Amino acid sequence: MKINRFVSIPWHLIFIATIFILIFPIIFAVGSSFKSLQDAYNNVLNIIPIQPTLENYQIFFNSLPAIQITVNTFIIAAVVTIFKVITSFLAAYAFVYFQFRGKTVLYFLLISTIFIPFTVTMIPNYLIISKIGLTDSIWGVILPQLADALGIFLMRQSMKTIPMSLIEVAQLDNLSHVQIMRDIVLPLIKPAVTSTGIWFFISSWNEYVWPVLILKTTDNFTLPLALQMYISSEGGTNFTVAMAVSVITMIIPLALYLAFQRYIVGTFTSSGIK
Amino acid sequence: MSALTTGVKRFNRENWKAYFLLFPSLLIFAFFMFWPFIYTIYLSFFDWNMISPTKEFVGLQNYIDILTDPKSYNIFGNTFIYIAILLVLNCVVPYVFAFVIDMVLKRFKGFYKGALFMPAFISLVVGSILFTWILNPVSGPVAIILGWFGLEMPIWSKMDGWVIFVLSLITSWKVFGYNFIVLYASINGISRELIEAARLDQVPLWRIFFQIVLPMSSATGIYVFIITIVQGLQYVFTPIKVITQGGPNYASSNAIYHAYHEAFVLYRTGHSAALSILTMVIFLVLLFIEIKFVERGIYYEN
Repeated sequence: MKINRFVSIPWHLIFIATIFILIFPIIFAVGSSFKSLQDAYNNVLNIIPIQPTLENYQIFFNSLPAIQITVNTFIIAAVVTIFKVITSFLAAYAFVYFQFRGKTVLYFLLISTIFIPFTVTMIPNYLIISKIGLTDSIWGVILPQLADALGIFLMRQSMKTIPMSLIEVAQLDNLSHVQIMRDIVLPLIKPAVTSTGIWFFISSWNEYVWPVLILKTTDNFTLPLALQMYISSEGGTNFTVAMAVSVITMIIPLALYLAFQRYIVGTFTSSGIK
Repeated sequence: MSALTTGVKRFNRENWKAYFLLFPSLLIFAFFMFWPFIYTIYLSFFDWNMISPTKEFVGLQNYIDILTDPKSYNIFGNTFIYIAILLVLNCVVPYVFAFVIDMVLKRFKGFYKGALFMPAFISLVVGSILFTWILNPVSGPVAIILGWFGLEMPIWSKMDGWVIFVLSLITSWKVFGYNFIVLYASINGISRELIEAARLDQVPLWRIFFQIVLPMSSATGIYVFIITIVQGLQYVFTPIKVITQGGPNYASSNAIYHAYHEAFVLYRTGHSAALSILTMVIFLVLLFIEIKFVERGIYYEN
């Protein structure tokens, strides 16, 4: 295929400019987090700090229970991820390999919840969590997050790519459903399961709307909530500390993404999502 | 063959196993999705402040209040402006980008894909605070660079119009990558032979895009169109909450943020519930439009 240079070069420039706009904030945050407040104000355009300092990180660790907050964020994200991956896998398996009454209606009912805005369930969920005494606890944050149909949808899509004949042969060999799941289906859709899991983990790690309603004391906070404490609409006097907390909040998602990048992009661009 | 049929039949007789597998999901959905959904409809007919032991039945009054309050039109107007900007930035632009990266360019495809997808993994609270600083109208880097050219940055967080535009921009930073990857996947699945043939016939790129790529990826296109509206509008909640709290004077509020504001700031659960239900009805109308399109014979990749 011949590609005209006059066509491709402007496009390359557009993509590089877009990527610069998307990535610049991340680099800017890392640079500013190692600057003193004065340095940050006086040398805005110097991304690299003149006199690097750990002061901002120290302020965060001294003024808030930073380790506890990071651990909370991790536990919530891990529990949500494990639970959602398991329940979504089981539900998707039922939808793909069983014929049962109400299957279509049930599937439609579950998937349509993806299109329900969170405000529709927000007040009753808040009342439920209050009633069972879970406000200001990590379980109060975890429970409502589990009602998410995206995993069922994604895993059903990838299970459908497995040839049905493979499952029928296994049936003829009298393999139980547990064996089929464990030895045939799971290994074949492992990339999709991993990518879905990483996506769940990161969504929960970054979750803000629900924790902000439920969590009250700083000991129970998650990182996005801690970050919010350093924000005022004008940028704030704790701006460099906010940059340090931003960096801590970004590290794990970015590390996961960079480590699994080919894998994740691969799964999302194969039959994973359609 | 007969053995195969028995196999399938055995599947059918094991219905209870299917329900058993679905049970954990259904339990969670019943408690935290379906029941809350019904209860919100119920609450929309009552006047209640979330604390008082009694709820007063007011019929359709909450809906009437919303539909007659001039502020609501402001908020629904804002909602549609948000939707329009998000559709351009998170549906149209990624569509074109995905097409160009997949079919026009030869080099750096992997790098572009990876880099464009990256912000999708970062917290929108982080994004909001980063952009608040970068776009600070006095001391932020963008303001300083504009200053070199004698240009002044608008005080966007205090100005009607500008505030919606900037908050949409921040949201797009986060949402862009996911939509782009989904669209790329769909375009990547289109038969190469057809495209090659069109190229050989010297068909211009814009016609390849509109007459081949767009129709052949339309199922995914509509999916992205809808999630841009439904999810995008919910994502905007975060920068609104973090940066402006709906201000100045409701200029940056939208239907989602206002429902939150009514419930947890003003404690008017009835208004909040009615507004949420109305928002959802608008979303449902969009969903029906999708189904109708599908019935008309949208092209499905698989």
